[in-house]
Amino acid sequence: MIEERVRITNRLGLHARAAAQLVRLASGFSSAVRLERVDGSASADAKSILSVLMLAAARGTELRATAQGVDEHEAIAAVSRLFEEGFGEIEQ
Amino acid sequence: MNRRVKSGLREERWNGLGVSDGVVVGRVLRVHSGTQQIYRARLDEMELRREVRRLRAAVRLSRRQLLAIRARAEKELGAAHAYIFDAHLLMLEDSKLIDEIEEYIRRERANAEWAVKVVADRLLAVYAAIKDDYLRERGSDIEDVTQRILVALGGEHPFHKNLTEDAVLVAEDLLPSTVAELDYTKVRGMAMDNGGWTSHTAIIARGLGIPAVVGLRDLSRRARTGDPVIVDADKGTVILHPSATSAESYRLQKASQKIEASDAPEIFRGPVRSLDNVEVRLRANIELPAEFEGVAKFGAEGVGLYRSEFLLSQRGPMPSEEEQCEAYKEVARLGGDAGATVRLFDLGGEKISGAFGDVERNPALGLRAIRFSLRWEKVLRLQARSILRAAAFGKLKIVLPMISDLTDVRRARHIIEEERTRLESEGKQTGCVQIGAMIEVPSAVLVADKIAREVDFFSLGTNDLVQYLLAVDRGNDDVSEWFRSLHPAVLQSIKRTLDVALGAGIPAVICGEMAATPAYAVILLGLGATDFSMTASSLPRVRQTISKIKYSDAREIAEECLTCATADEVEELVRERLGTKWPKLFPAQSLPAKKSRV
Repeated sequence: MIEERVRITNRLGLHARAAAQLVRLASGFSSAVRLERVDGSASADAKSILSVLMLAAARGTELRATAQGVDEHEAIAAVSRLFEEGFGEIEQ
Repeated sequence: MNRRVKSGLREERWNGLGVSDGVVVGRVLRVHSGTQQIYRARLDEMELRREVRRLRAAVRLSRRQLLAIRARAEKELGAAHAYIFDAHLLMLEDSKLIDEIEEYIRRERANAEWAVKVVADRLLAVYAAIKDDYLRERGSDIEDVTQRILVALGGEHPFHKNLTEDAVLVAEDLLPSTVAELDYTKVRGMAMDNGGWTSHTAIIARGLGIPAVVGLRDLSRRARTGDPVIVDADKGTVILHPSATSAESYRLQKASQKIEASDAPEIFRGPVRSLDNVEVRLRANIELPAEFEGVAKFGAEGVGLYRSEFLLSQRGPMPSEEEQCEAYKEVARLGGDAGATVRLFDLGGEKISGAFGDVERNPALGLRAIRFSLRWEKVLRLQARSILRAAAFGKLKIVLPMISDLTDVRRARHIIEEERTRLESEGKQTGCVQIGAMIEVPSAVLVADKIAREVDFFSLGTNDLVQYLLAVDRGNDDVSEWFRSLHPAVLQSIKRTLDVALGAGIPAVICGEMAATPAYAVILLGLGATDFSMTASSLPRVRQTISKIKYSDAREIAEECLTCATADEVEELVRERLGTKWPKLFPAQSLPAKKSRV
């Protein structure tokens, strides 16, 4: 299993569209992908939109992304990139 | 479904907020939004297996429907509206939802409907506890999706097959997927318990030019599919089981509208002339792609106002320069020789709260429209570049919304010019673009003479002008009696702005929906307005009215209105003068109704 810290930089947080993007991306890997609040208060299956939405992760939230499986490296790299790019939203 | 005409049912009148124009006499089509009763059944082993298969079939059917809805929404409402159905599709595929429902069926030996309801309610309870406003609202998406499964379990397509030619949709509120799924061509009217001026229902209704009234409290509980109903969006009234007299009076009114409409095509295109030969230009306000065909269909002289904020979804990503440029080219093409005016993103307050900063306490007076663009300069620069580039392919103008000070104009102009220079240095082609100011804030009216020196034209946004001048929120039912388009202060402000424009030698276009009401159009003409832009479907009515009156008569009445002390006095005067002077054009029902405040 590998893990990486990610931070939500887009203003809307993990809202429906961003969550949909994340779930589509994560579902493309065979590894299990999870997100967890760094304080351990909540965690989510990144392949379930309902689960991801329930993290209620607003802008600035720090999350621990983990992947476990044959393609775990690729999965983590792709997920981190999506967070870094702020889900393609406008930023100043 | 009950289709027989019910006799002996008393007429019931409901008052709400008319969010579009027109009147329709039709029959209720009750659209349910999650209110049906669900019962629990206990199943045996054999039945359980069948129940799970039934659930899976319903999920597959829901999935096919959603795929079709998404494709349709993308095409007709734009990609910005379609993304939500992507989320719906993922919810349908989500093991958290479907697996849990299956598990519940097996564990509790429950019927599928009951299992769907229990699991959905559990999820909704979790969402209801979320602190974030936006995410909490996602509960409605779960309701939308689970409702769809429930309907599919009933073996029915939501309600398409029920659509008759005179269908008036009655519901508590329309879910986004229901709206996207509508067979627009058959819906004749809408009446909703909830919703306001900016609700999805209202936007769609205006776009399609069908009468809609919202804020009717519990109408949907009283109305049954097949009940006769009248929706009068002009007055904001809905009449359920109308009496013979009411039905007849509306039928007559409708008949006279029909005659007017059939009169129109002969004088369909180009500017319209009053009887004393004053030329008036009629342009179209557009927003949704569904409205585009109306520009040519109703003979608009170009696009007087393109509400560009449609390009931004509330929650989606910013459309790129290329995407925006394509959209503006399309709008320019619609405008043709007469051109098209793009209003810069009129965003703010309720439309983007949370997206760009904290929720504002007073969004109408907050960081919106031009203020938003000046703060988020990147957004403005991207939009300016896209428009300048599109202008190389057609005639485009830019209008700056919510100008309250000349400095706003100067700053925006400066940024637009910088982008032009930059585009040129990049070797990209740009077109000539005139820049105008929306006059809709009282301060802009007062310094209009100064603004006029530095812009190419004025656009008068009457909706916002009334709202800001009279300090009244159009969407708020409780103060609707204070929203008076004919208030003397409104008329004086319009007059003043028109006079300034005339003196400065720049055009002034009236862009608010006020001009779409023929009686108001006459007064506006009388105040000196000769350039109107409105929802395209309203153009034939206004065209017909102007072609049958003299400008000099309109001016006389308008001047008399300017001397009035109160909105009541103006309205009374308008009723009396228009009704006497042009009884055929203005039957009593077409004139502003008395709003007594005593």
